[in-house]
Amino acid sequence: MHETPLIGSYSPDDTVAWRQGQAHTARQFLADVRCLAEVLPDRPAVLNLADSRYEFLVGFAAAILRGQLTLLPQRRAPEALRRLVDDHPGCYALTDQDEAIEGIDAVSIPPGGGAAPWPKHIPLVPLNQAVAVAFTSGSTGRPVPNTKTWGALTAVAQATGSRLGITDGDRIGVVATVPHQHMFGLEASVMLPLVHGVAMYAGRPLFPADIGSVLSNAAGRWMLVTTPLHLRACVTERMQVPSGGLILSATAPLARTLAQEAERMFQSNVHEIFGFAEAGSVAERRTIDGERWTPLEGVCVRQGQDSCTVEARYLPAPVPIPDRVTVEPTGAFFLHGREADQVNVAGHRVSLGDLNQTLLRIDGVQDGIFFLPDEEAGFVTRLMAFVVAPGKTSEEIQRALRAHLDPVFLPRPLVCVPSLPRNATGKLPREAVLELSRQWTKADGHGV
Amino acid sequence: MTSFGSSPLEPDLAKLIVQTLKLKIDPASVQPEAPLFGEGLGLDSIDALELALAISQTYGYQLKSSDPEIKTIFFSLRALANAVEKHRTK
Repeated sequence: MHETPLIGSYSPDDTVAWRQGQAHTARQFLADVRCLAEVLPDRPAVLNLADSRYEFLVGFAAAILRGQLTLLPQRRAPEALRRLVDDHPGCYALTDQDEAIEGIDAVSIPPGGGAAPWPKHIPLVPLNQAVAVAFTSGSTGRPVPNTKTWGALTAVAQATGSRLGITDGDRIGVVATVPHQHMFGLEASVMLPLVHGVAMYAGRPLFPADIGSVLSNAAGRWMLVTTPLHLRACVTERMQVPSGGLILSATAPLARTLAQEAERMFQSNVHEIFGFAEAGSVAERRTIDGERWTPLEGVCVRQGQDSCTVEARYLPAPVPIPDRVTVEPTGAFFLHGREADQVNVAGHRVSLGDLNQTLLRIDGVQDGIFFLPDEEAGFVTRLMAFVVAPGKTSEEIQRALRAHLDPVFLPRPLVCVPSLPRNATGKLPREAVLELSRQWTKADGHGV
Repeated sequence: MTSFGSSPLEPDLAKLIVQTLKLKIDPASVQPEAPLFGEGLGLDSIDALELALAISQTYGYQLKSSDPEIKTIFFSLRALANAVEKHRTK
């Protein structure tokens, strides 16, 4: 099989997307895609900036039919977008907001909704067609492109859905708080519903009350594609939702305590995806079951001499995993933090990722991070930790940590904070942690 | 933009914003009528989420982005203070 249909097994009047309370059927979707594909300019690549997930999907599908590569911008700052366009001559922007970005040709996605006869044949897409480019931060400061084929995106979406028990044509509505221009968002909130023939929600609810109301009004079961940050907000606000939903979190490790609270409060299973832009989603786990990751169907994680790699039929070559990994004979694996986060405290090597995992395992800890301040000559630099654990004191957490850690790695100080400065994708840039430590040191004057 | 009278909650709310978002500024320096997002303090959607959470915990007022007035409410410290004063339950 060298090509597959553009959409999963929707019947003509099945809902592809809910947008502002209105159902957009498969027949309407294919008509909207055809209309847009006819008017797209003849260019090699497109920057899809659509805010609505439905318009994004229409734009993405139309670009695929026209053989155009969709670029997924990491950031929306005009300067960042112009740099992408510089690297992809002839690229134009597709928007649903009539926004103009100086120096970039823009096309507005028309409202659609025209006559929608069901086509005789669903368009087919070659598995080896390059359809999207996700960018990662490169060491040079220039974003590094990671090209995704139709085969890679559909295989990951298929495997993720099956792992979560979603069957084709399932009555489940996929709601996401993550942007669809992000790799995880594209895979889990756009490709997963499309491939399995289930409905997605076009909006991107932010506040717990919004998320709760979208989930409560979902037709059928709900699935929430989100990050630990949004999940913590939903738990803190005691969001009200119908039971029996499905929560899928990624972009940063989820604390087991938070997953337990969410499962109990929402009466729904909480799963996590491990992945990275170069390989896409790699493995899944139900967070409360433990640390072990099980690769998705068709994915193999192999222990190499220096690092581990991900292999899959749809990846042109094995992709090195940026984390330290131990692989079990069954193929399941454990993550022990990023290779780059090895630090040295008083002559002892340790991985910050490992320490963070230890911290997140402690009862009552919702989020937390270890941090090694910049070293000062002549002083032993001690680790600091910032922890989100409502109702716990730093002494209690220190005591629990002592049971797991060599004394040299105990944080001095351990600071309880209401939240961590995670960015829009749930990650915690080192610069933000540095800033937090500077503020704390300055505010309390407890220099090390 | 709708104009509001100043609210007695402004100083407390400025403190809450600065603390919650760990801004390195003096709460008294937050201009009551300057935009909080974009220009002004330059906050983003994650800040909005954190701020909404803090407001809900402190004042019992749950913000919703489907609220037709949300853009107005979040426009400035003054607008936010007026909204919190009107909807607070604690």
